[in-house]
Amino acid sequence: MKIGVFICHCGENISRTVDCPRVAHFAEGLPGVEYSIDYKYMCSDPGQKLIKDAIREHKLDAIVVGSCSPNMHERTFRNAAVSAGINPFLVEIANLREHCSWVHDDVEAATEKAIELVRMAIEKVKRDKPLTKIRVPVTKRVLVIGGGIAGIQAALDIANAGYEVVLVEREPSIGGHMSQLSETFPTLDCSQCILTPRMVEVYQHPKIKLLTYSEVVKVEGFIGNFKATIKKKARHINEDLCSGCGLCITKCPTKKKSYNSFEENLAFRPAVYVPFPQAVPNIPVIDETVCMYYKNGKCGMCVKVCDRGAIDFEQKDTMLVADIGAIIVATGYKLYNIEKATPESKYKGYGEYGYGKYRDVIDGLQFERIASASGPTAGEIKRPSDGKEPKKIVFIQCVGSRDPSKGISYCSKICCMYTAKQAMLYKHKVHDGEAYVFYMDIRAGGKMYDEFVRRAIEEDHVKYIRGRVSKIHEENGKYIVKGEDTIAGMPVEIDADMVVLATAMIPQDNAPKLAQTIGIPYDKHGFYNEAHPKLRPVESTTAGVFLAGACQSPKDIPESVAMASATASKAIILFASDTLEREPVVAKVNEDLCAGCFYCKKVCPFGAIEVRDIKDVNGIIYKEVAYINQGVCQGCGTCTATCLSKSIELAGFNNEEIFAEIAAL
Amino acid sequence: MSKQKWEPKIVAFVCNWCTYAGADLAGTSRLKYPANTKIIRVMCSGGIDPVFILKAFERGADGVLVSGCHPNDCHYNAGNFHARRRWDLFHKLLDFVGIEKDRLQFSWISASEGKKFADVITKVTKDIIALGPFKTYQDMNAEFTTVFPEFAEAGNKEIAYEEEMTNG
Amino acid sequence: MDELRNYARELLEKEEVAAVIGYQQVTEKRTKPIVITDPAETSRLVFNEYCLNNLAVYLTKARIRSLMRTKDKTMKLAIVAKPCDVHSIVALIQENQIHRNDVHIISFNCHGVVKDFGCDFNGDNLAAKCIKCETHKPLYFDKIFGEEKQTPKAGDASLEKINELEKLNSKERFEFFKSEFDKCIKCYACRAVCPLCYCQRCITDKAIPRWIESSSHQRGNFSWNIVRAFHLSGRCTGCGECDRACPMDIPLSLINRRMAMEVKDLFSFVSGRSLETPTLVGNFDKKDSDEIFM
Repeated sequence: MKIGVFICHCGENISRTVDCPRVAHFAEGLPGVEYSIDYKYMCSDPGQKLIKDAIREHKLDAIVVGSCSPNMHERTFRNAAVSAGINPFLVEIANLREHCSWVHDDVEAATEKAIELVRMAIEKVKRDKPLTKIRVPVTKRVLVIGGGIAGIQAALDIANAGYEVVLVEREPSIGGHMSQLSETFPTLDCSQCILTPRMVEVYQHPKIKLLTYSEVVKVEGFIGNFKATIKKKARHINEDLCSGCGLCITKCPTKKKSYNSFEENLAFRPAVYVPFPQAVPNIPVIDETVCMYYKNGKCGMCVKVCDRGAIDFEQKDTMLVADIGAIIVATGYKLYNIEKATPESKYKGYGEYGYGKYRDVIDGLQFERIASASGPTAGEIKRPSDGKEPKKIVFIQCVGSRDPSKGISYCSKICCMYTAKQAMLYKHKVHDGEAYVFYMDIRAGGKMYDEFVRRAIEEDHVKYIRGRVSKIHEENGKYIVKGEDTIAGMPVEIDADMVVLATAMIPQDNAPKLAQTIGIPYDKHGFYNEAHPKLRPVESTTAGVFLAGACQSPKDIPESVAMASATASKAIILFASDTLEREPVVAKVNEDLCAGCFYCKKVCPFGAIEVRDIKDVNGIIYKEVAYINQGVCQGCGTCTATCLSKSIELAGFNNEEIFAEIAAL
Repeated sequence: MSKQKWEPKIVAFVCNWCTYAGADLAGTSRLKYPANTKIIRVMCSGGIDPVFILKAFERGADGVLVSGCHPNDCHYNAGNFHARRRWDLFHKLLDFVGIEKDRLQFSWISASEGKKFADVITKVTKDIIALGPFKTYQDMNAEFTTVFPEFAEAGNKEIAYEEEMTNG
Repeated sequence: MDELRNYARELLEKEEVAAVIGYQQVTEKRTKPIVITDPAETSRLVFNEYCLNNLAVYLTKARIRSLMRTKDKTMKLAIVAKPCDVHSIVALIQENQIHRNDVHIISFNCHGVVKDFGCDFNGDNLAAKCIKCETHKPLYFDKIFGEEKQTPKAGDASLEKINELEKLNSKERFEFFKSEFDKCIKCYACRAVCPLCYCQRCITDKAIPRWIESSSHQRGNFSWNIVRAFHLSGRCTGCGECDRACPMDIPLSLINRRMAMEVKDLFSFVSGRSLETPTLVGNFDKKDSDEIFM
């Protein structure tokens, strides 16, 4: 075998601490090495040409490139090798930059190490086998998890491109947080007015299968070939029979048994309910925890009034399984729980602001409901405690956000804008009212955003105070807000009628659990990690799983929508071809030697291992052996290490190759 | 040991997705750590066979590090869980037959933990230097090589390997 | 004894089983395995305190397996098994080496066997595994014979040895095992006799790559014995046949037992005790110990 060794200087990145000519010279003397050279930029066009020319001229069979991490340029060098007629899997990279020159100062030690790394790569490449890429079929159906604006947008885009979508929403209706909002910045158009047509479009789209009140409980498989298990929770209403007349809701005697979560607990709802009037689908849900029937077996009023017989107390949760080609995660956010910190929560709470203690200290989403025409006060600004119109209102920004001592270091991004909007809405509705905003900085980057904040200040005379609030306490029905005006350099005290806290956006409680179900990484806060912060912002590191909206980090509506459309296009790109090219790094069983203990089958995370019967001449099974489905195998190699008789080999990382590397140490 | 100063030889078996990428990040962040450790990349920590460790010791390694993704973060969902059970057992076994615990160390290092990678390598190197050369293992064949001197002279590296490759 | 013979004869006559694997008497204090396919030969079957062998090993041997396959169907194998041997059978069933339906287990209430042929059966000569035995009645069987009897009391020498080794430091333990393994002549009797060493080709026989140095020098011996012990960790049922088979008297089951103790400690698992419990190897618990990981 003739091996070529190419040592890259990477400008000075490698050559500053590694004596590249010495490494190349050393490699030249190793058995099997036909040609060895160092060069300033191996990944550049002339560098690649040098490799190709050397391959042709010296009739090389395999090459070793000592350069940056294989994660950077392995593909570059493999392509160069292919164009010169070498199988791409007969290319090994010795990582001389990230693992050597950049992490060591001593030239002698770094050069010694570089030599060893190159020697290991040479020994490995000697045993590498030529491999060809595997093609697997693609299921052209997308699973969208989360039916907020991001999920809706992604589902519609994909469905309009002609592909099937399964849209799974945890709540009884799609719409997400956007359906709770009153009006949206910076145009002040009604949130529901622009959202509900989209929701209806989803419901009516022939390509979209909508599963509300459902959760994804299991995801198996891999890009192009996922298998998702979805739990459809029992609504106790037969969806096929229900006409959405709402009689059951109006007749239900348990009117004030549970808080209405859509109204952010500012109102009550009966045991049978639809979250809000424009809900999609317009099919109620029976809340088992408060329904009288489940308490004592009596009542059944809804059964009596429903002329279609749609009430089904016996309905059970059902499990659905769907074949999926790509997954879009759009699970959104929730608001920072400010009430008080539990011992195990990483968020520390804001007891000093009295949220949960004072009924008129509310959070941003609660104000949205109060300001909303369809909300509990029909759009009139009223205090939750006594229903009076507040004449003095204080908004506090960055409650939780940008406060590492409270567990959150990041900026929630939307609060500056929505606080300005809410203050403006207040001023529009309460003309003689006074509105104060405590802020740290105004972050209004975006089209027409800063102008919007200026409008709040200049046209609507919202009073902005730069500074933090230290404490809120109640005195004679007023809320005394103590803070500091850092520009004036003096303490301020405002006797407010109502306080609105712009609390941080945090991931949904079960975000880590869902991430583990799907197999995608998440950061310390629970936001899902993108594959690359700049160049691959909507892809997760797991192939075929894309991220849309606030589950990745705080986002406003246009950003969520843009991201959703981006994920849709990623999925559509994936579906543009009928098969998918996969790395041939897969495991293979030596059937002659397999003893059929099937430990490999037990450990395989992908269920890629099947039982194959070996029969004798009479057709009687005399042995069962493991067989690996190459389309399903992801090449982790756990089976190879588990196999006691070493009858499984992982292509590209087989035991012989690894032994050669160890021997070359 | 003809070198003037003994430098420990350490092998790190790391998974492709987390620890290898973490090591890349250590490089990109220009963190410094001792140059004694050489990395052997495998796809998943679940694919590292305990015999690899014995082989490394046979080939003169003074210490071995095995590292993969944190539990629950495995690129392959469960490879590292199987690995953990395997290493829990193997580590106990080596301890029982008298191989110092620190000769074989384990860690979980994610792709974003470049700093942790540098720290772990520094710690392992320090531990191995404290233990000294793994002479107990390396010299195991001293008697044998006096009877078969050609085995000793061959530096028991390439030649021994070649011999093994062919005598099957 | 007649019960056993009659039962075995019936099984063969009715063609319920293809063969009966059992023990036959050689001398007064010695038995050896026998595989019977002819009903007339069942008169040679015995069961007593000299039935040392763990016959489960034969369930995986190709020549015996071939008896199971007739022209048109698969037949069962019957096996005479002590309660401890049943553990091995359970492990084999769990590892898919034989299906529960393909093996007919004839077992006995057992009160122990001697440590070696020729010994008298008493507390001093009790086999090591019988000293710590907790299953005098088989956990799984298709037919059971024999009365329940008291096992003679005896000191647990192997546990004492383990405790003694624990107290040594690493170097001393290494020296102990090195000198023990040094005796190994790589005859692989331990492998041949172990019911769980059923691989078609053992890792030590693999040449490309050479997993384990095949010469019986210290290093090769060390890695062979480590790998043997590791491959049995969490699988070994503690039948002690390796000890009995080793011509060099290497205390092989000592290390197996120590690993079994660790397995019980770490994972609350004992191999071969239940068909329902998932095997240790091949499964995991998200709560497995994270202690050794930085």
